[in-house]
Amino acid sequence: MSRRAPLAGAALAALLLAFTTAGAPPTWSEGELKTLKSLWIAQLGAPPADPSNRVADDPAAARLGEALFSDARLSANGKVSCASCHQPDRAFTDARPTGRGIGAGARRTMPVAPAAYSPWQFWDGRADSLWAQALGPVENPVEHGFTRTEVARVVAAHYRGPYESLFGPMPDLSDRRRFPLRASPVGDAAARAAWARMTPADQAAVDRVFADFGKAVAAYERTLKVRPGRFDDYLAGVFGAPGRHASLSPDEAAGLRLFIGKARCATCHNGPLLTNNGFANTGVPARPGAAPDHGRAAGVRQVVDDPFNCKGRYSDAQGEGCDELEFAVVDDPAQVRAYKVPSLRGVRRRAPYMHAGQFATLDQVLDHYSRAPAAPEGVSELRTLDLSADERRQIVAFLRTLDEQPERRP
Amino acid sequence: MSTSANQSGGRLGRLTHLGAAVLTGALMIAGAVYAAGPDTSLDRSTDQGVFHVQLNSAVTPIPMSKVHRWTVHLTDAAGRPVNGAELSVDGGMPEHGHGLPTAPRATPAATPGDYVINGVKFSMTGWWELKLKVRAPDGRSDRITFNVVL
Ligand SMILES: [Cu+2]
Repeated sequence: MSRRAPLAGAALAALLLAFTTAGAPPTWSEGELKTLKSLWIAQLGAPPADPSNRVADDPAAARLGEALFSDARLSANGKVSCASCHQPDRAFTDARPTGRGIGAGARRTMPVAPAAYSPWQFWDGRADSLWAQALGPVENPVEHGFTRTEVARVVAAHYRGPYESLFGPMPDLSDRRRFPLRASPVGDAAARAAWARMTPADQAAVDRVFADFGKAVAAYERTLKVRPGRFDDYLAGVFGAPGRHASLSPDEAAGLRLFIGKARCATCHNGPLLTNNGFANTGVPARPGAAPDHGRAAGVRQVVDDPFNCKGRYSDAQGEGCDELEFAVVDDPAQVRAYKVPSLRGVRRRAPYMHAGQFATLDQVLDHYSRAPAAPEGVSELRTLDLSADERRQIVAFLRTLDEQPERRP
Repeated sequence: MSTSANQSGGRLGRLTHLGAAVLTGALMIAGAVYAAGPDTSLDRSTDQGVFHVQLNSAVTPIPMSKVHRWTVHLTDAAGRPVNGAELSVDGGMPEHGHGLPTAPRATPAATPGDYVINGVKFSMTGWWELKLKVRAPDGRSDRITFNVVL
């Protein structure tokens, strides 16, 4: 008794202090609670199955993919790997407005972990799986600047064992007349000419190794986890879940209220990754001097024609489970300069923002959404919000609670 | 509608107060309709009453951001199942000015008057429209707009 009373007093004092400094904890309506629950990382689950990649969840494929992910031999100058731009210690992005490999890219590097949950890859969705995505940068002249015959040779020389145990025998690439050193249907003129001289069967043999390379990288990428933020610890408390609980500051709570209310962010930034994985024209200005970029309008044409898509001959789906591709919208004017709605998990540490790093800070992003200027091409879906400086600051404060927390020890 | 607009425009001075009152009333009605939300019945007659359509999501509750399937039961005004009709599907979010995130397609099912719409997806919360155009083999056609609020 005599020992408990001071403790209770101290607890009461702490509680009073909390109330006077932080105010009462926020209260939420039934509708708001429903929305909050949908944003909680506890709702995320494992990435959806990828029927187009039969090794998608094979640990041996993930180990091979991890090695390939950071192997700079897979580039024209021997210096560029996937990890050059998707840097593991920077949430798998770089800090640049646009990616930089062999040369300067046109788009902002995207984080990798949330990608396994998206039916479309790249800012314009021009690939429909992680493995098809992984192939693009390798042959992009400003990224890896490599060719698929070179990829096949690197895999044959350095990864033959793990490759063959996963995918079967490697083709014999030793005849350089049949298998030129640098050949690709999408490379420079010399690489394209070399590719055109190959027989369809030899092209298919190389394409298969190239696709398998992508499938191994994809298996690794699927093991990357999106980690909870303080926001999730707050929701754990709200919904009475076990584990660590946290509170939100009045500004963070006000920002969350705006995020799911007046500012309408959660219309598109919904679900536990705070993205609907869709595409929207939000009137983001073009980078000065950038080449014309039509966004999803061009990307959807590319993915429909991509030989490495879900319905292609290198897909393991055999025509089943390709619903997104099967029912893809093509030729919709709303797709002009529409870009992927990115996940906002860890967004604060991912400046600069938008598909070409047009905005340096989150305040600039919110200022843009608040003003809703006309799009440089196509039609912006935004409506003006007239957010005050305080409201913008509060939303940024909320976004900070999405910072991914360090891995927890069990 | 256009006549009353012309009248109030022509006799603006005398009718200002009346116009204001009518406008206020109209706004209140509009407000009430908006608050009540659009008609979300999925069992309705088409615009000209040619057909009756029962629409159902094959997955309940309607999933967010997942491609799924809907079913259609199509009858004529007398309640007889209509087979062999061509159904086209369109839609979007009227408040956001964008269409559907997928391009769904309708195909006939095995049972009389039944059809399946594959490839439906909703990617946001809010008010969605699903628009069906129906053309029966005998040439009769009509359309209907369903409202789905997520
Ligand atoms: Cu919308």
